[in-house]
Amino acid sequence: MSFQIDCPNCGVRPVWEFHFAGPSRKRPDPDDAALTERQWAEYLYNRPNTCGEQTEWWYHRSACKTWFLARRDTRTNQVLETRLFAPQEAAGG
Amino acid sequence: MADSHGGPAHDGDSHHSDSHSRVEFEFDGKTIQAEVGQTVTGALHAAGKHVLSRSFKYHRPRGLFCGSGRCPNCLCTVNGTPNVRICTVPAEAGLVVKTQNAWPSVKFDLFSIFDRFHKFMPVGFYYKMMYKPRWMWPVWEKFIRRIAGLGSVDRRNGGDGVYDKLNLFCDVAVVGGGWAGLNAAHEAARSGLSVTLIDDQPELGGHLRFDPHLADASLEHLVRHVRENPAIQVWDRATAFGLYEENYLGIQRGNRMIRLRAREVVVATGGWERPLVFENNDLPGVMLASAAQRLLHLDHAAFEGGAVIVTDNAQGYRIARQLAAAGAQIAAVIDVREYPPPSEFKVIAEHTLAAARGTSHVTGAVVGRFSGQPQATIPCRWIIEAVGFTPANSLLYQNGCKLQHDELRDHAVVKAYARATHSAGAVNGQHDPAAAAIDGRRAGLAAAAALRPHDSRLSADRDELAAQLAAWPTGELASRHYISPSQAKKKFVCLCEDVTEKDVCDAITEGYSNIETLKRYSTVGMGPCQGKMCQAASIAICARENQQSIAQTGVTTARPPEQPLPLGLLAGRALHHALIRRTPMHDWHLRNGATMMDAGNWKRPQVYTTSEDEYAAVRGRAGLVDVSTLGKIELRGRDVVKFLEFIYPNRFENLAVGRVRYGVICDDAGILLDDGTIARLEDQRFFLTTTTGNADAIDSWFRSWLAGKPNLDVRLTNVSGSYAAMNLAGPRSRDVLRKLVSSDLSPAAMPYLAARQCNIVGVPAIVLRIGFVGELGYEIHVPSQYGLHVWEAIVEAGKEFSLAPFGVEAQRLLRLEKKHLLPGTDTDALSNPLEADLPWIVKLDKPDFVGQRSLARASARGARSRLVGFRIEGGQVPEPPALVIHKGKLGGRVTSCSFSPAAGCTVGLAWVPADVSHNGDRIHIQVDGQTVVAVVQDEPFYDPTGEKLKS
Repeated sequence: MSFQIDCPNCGVRPVWEFHFAGPSRKRPDPDDAALTERQWAEYLYNRPNTCGEQTEWWYHRSACKTWFLARRDTRTNQVLETRLFAPQEAAGG
Repeated sequence: MADSHGGPAHDGDSHHSDSHSRVEFEFDGKTIQAEVGQTVTGALHAAGKHVLSRSFKYHRPRGLFCGSGRCPNCLCTVNGTPNVRICTVPAEAGLVVKTQNAWPSVKFDLFSIFDRFHKFMPVGFYYKMMYKPRWMWPVWEKFIRRIAGLGSVDRRNGGDGVYDKLNLFCDVAVVGGGWAGLNAAHEAARSGLSVTLIDDQPELGGHLRFDPHLADASLEHLVRHVRENPAIQVWDRATAFGLYEENYLGIQRGNRMIRLRAREVVVATGGWERPLVFENNDLPGVMLASAAQRLLHLDHAAFEGGAVIVTDNAQGYRIARQLAAAGAQIAAVIDVREYPPPSEFKVIAEHTLAAARGTSHVTGAVVGRFSGQPQATIPCRWIIEAVGFTPANSLLYQNGCKLQHDELRDHAVVKAYARATHSAGAVNGQHDPAAAAIDGRRAGLAAAAALRPHDSRLSADRDELAAQLAAWPTGELASRHYISPSQAKKKFVCLCEDVTEKDVCDAITEGYSNIETLKRYSTVGMGPCQGKMCQAASIAICARENQQSIAQTGVTTARPPEQPLPLGLLAGRALHHALIRRTPMHDWHLRNGATMMDAGNWKRPQVYTTSEDEYAAVRGRAGLVDVSTLGKIELRGRDVVKFLEFIYPNRFENLAVGRVRYGVICDDAGILLDDGTIARLEDQRFFLTTTTGNADAIDSWFRSWLAGKPNLDVRLTNVSGSYAAMNLAGPRSRDVLRKLVSSDLSPAAMPYLAARQCNIVGVPAIVLRIGFVGELGYEIHVPSQYGLHVWEAIVEAGKEFSLAPFGVEAQRLLRLEKKHLLPGTDTDALSNPLEADLPWIVKLDKPDFVGQRSLARASARGARSRLVGFRIEGGQVPEPPALVIHKGKLGGRVTSCSFSPAAGCTVGLAWVPADVSHNGDRIHIQVDGQTVVAVVQDEPFYDPTGEKLKS
């Protein structure tokens, strides 16, 4: 891997400065009575293996320590967009 | 341009050899004279040494063939380094060149007996033979290991120096300094961009350097212009071996790896000359036209004895004229075409070469028609092949360009480029220098236009050149003639691995008809040249045998490295990347006799005197340990409590200002990640510690949850390096500290689990009354720059109480006596706090926190195993990870164990099955094959009521 990522804080940097933390997924509400054990286990242990574009969490480990979202094409490793998680996405805090 | 990206370090420019100074080097013990500027192979050619190696499998004699650092024929050991292509090595005084893969000598090799036994070495013979009977394998293995491989590493000579790495950036990288590459670099630099030109030859100019009929004065002019242009960085003698994602180029230049990030890349790597497959086509004396041209024009070599040239294009006649001009006798030009051009030579049209004759060198060429029997043998000493080029497109493949076979031109062309990638010249099939120049300028402008999208002149000029190129006459079309028709057995497709046409056909008959499986089974293309010599022929045979087109047959995947690399280049120097962290008190520890140990990146004192003495000091008087390596995080804001309640399984809303609390961190699966303390220094200011090894991971963990909760008012600062920390512990520690602070330290004013901000010898400090080692103790955090000052002050104040510094070794025993676990040592990736002896910490009745749902489930299910304390009275000390045996099966393991002076026996922590995890239960631990009985103990082994801790 030698692609580059545009850190929202630092700008374009090589991928090895970053830590990959998997595709962004909504954490199920654990208090939801309808949430089954299978759904919870799915969240904990399974990751979608998307062939194509997906939105992922990345962490600028070697520099500014910012967590951000990147939209990446897993076929070409092209990073199409990076951004911070927006407050309005975090409905309920 | 063809051959612009050939073998490295071909030091043969003419102005060197004009001086006629001579050097001597050694070849297999013989002294060889060379002109300065000649290559080793050039000098050997002049000295009449034509057998340079023995082939991999059959030990057939091999001589100079490609002359450009690609084929395996001239692999020799040079100054102790094996597998050096000596056609790329300049002849220098004192070189010691030794041949390989032959015994006793390359001229007379006893292993050449294998050549007679080819029947017993059919394609894939190592899958078919030598595995039965099984008991014979060790014998075979010894034999094969002796026979296989080329050259051997000289372990005594200590390697070939230091390898290092250089990181560079540029706007446009041009790979290949031939005619197309020079034009591309020049054009891109003219647009004001920074350009890097990479070429693996000592001189720029590609094959025009040794094909004088094509070159004119404009080459010299352009080379000088490019060399002198400050916007163009030229790396000659540098091989671009890999083109990775987003134009990251790996380049070898001597012992240095250059890693170049380019915004745009122009690949102008030229072509690989195609060998012709005919009987005995590997005999010394058979060579590619470009190898003969290099010998002639760069090494000033002579060709004595007649030469036969086999060709299907104008290059064959150019080399014939050049050879004749140098005094060689041209025995015949065999032209496979029906209507060859008029020439002064004896031309045999519509014929091809059926075979070479000779034992260790060519003595004749057998001419044949395309069908029917061979006709005549022409006596000669040289057979020169000029049957066209294959685009050197590995880098384009590597970068993700889509290539497709063009039937008309009979080579691959780029159908879709990867982002920011261009190509020009012979790699695009442009062999005519005029067309290659236009293509190079076009590619340079295309790269510039991509970087300067608003400059419409660039794109207009680019399109103008592209239009010119589209209208360019196609020129000579390839004759597709690279396999001579005959039923002979020794027609070599792959020189590296000794794979013949028959082997390839047999492999296809055996079912390996796909080009990729064919490669793996027959090993065609798997040798040192990585298919550069055999790609065209192996694909053609595969297509023919499968009765499909070349396009349908496809090509094997190209992967880096494009050229073989020394492993040292990839490993290189990395020492300066290894971070070593030292605490502010590091030098004091060294001065006071500490043995240091690694703890993550940190250096920590392991022991100063003996761990027994240090232990005794802490239990009886006072001790001081450097804990600066702890991770330290400060959280401020309105919502810190809310955040802590979410991150930790225990409760924080009731943590009063001035109090500190132990906490563990779990992930959402309920797995224990780390532990530490959380102090509330002010209403909205918290000070947290993590374990040494997890400082970065927990910092990242907190930030990751905060990133998903941007509405929370929590500000996180990692202050790990900002504070030095030390733990003053022992019954007299209050007496020591009292001498240094003015605030009230009485148990009433500063009880167990109090957190205070105060001054110690004038330095602002955070003092936490906690006791990891189980004694009255103070964890003191001060700004790093005052760490040594405060440490020395405490040591000085402690003298009257016989305070002793203590290291990690004593600390580990002290904490074990208190049954304080170490995350990562006593827990692993399956441990949750309910089972890890910390059920009291998990407050399942809290609202949602990280790990709650999984812990609730684990709680309902009940513990399967538990971390317990145990004691052994018999004196044995099981080393972790000694196994716990339960009902004849593996039941768990010991994680920590030591002799405890306080308990007077061996104590430890172990994971045991839940049904033997209660106080007084007996567990069985394996020690040196014996079973030792240990007794589970709930209480800590020292100060079970915590009286001393809270005193």
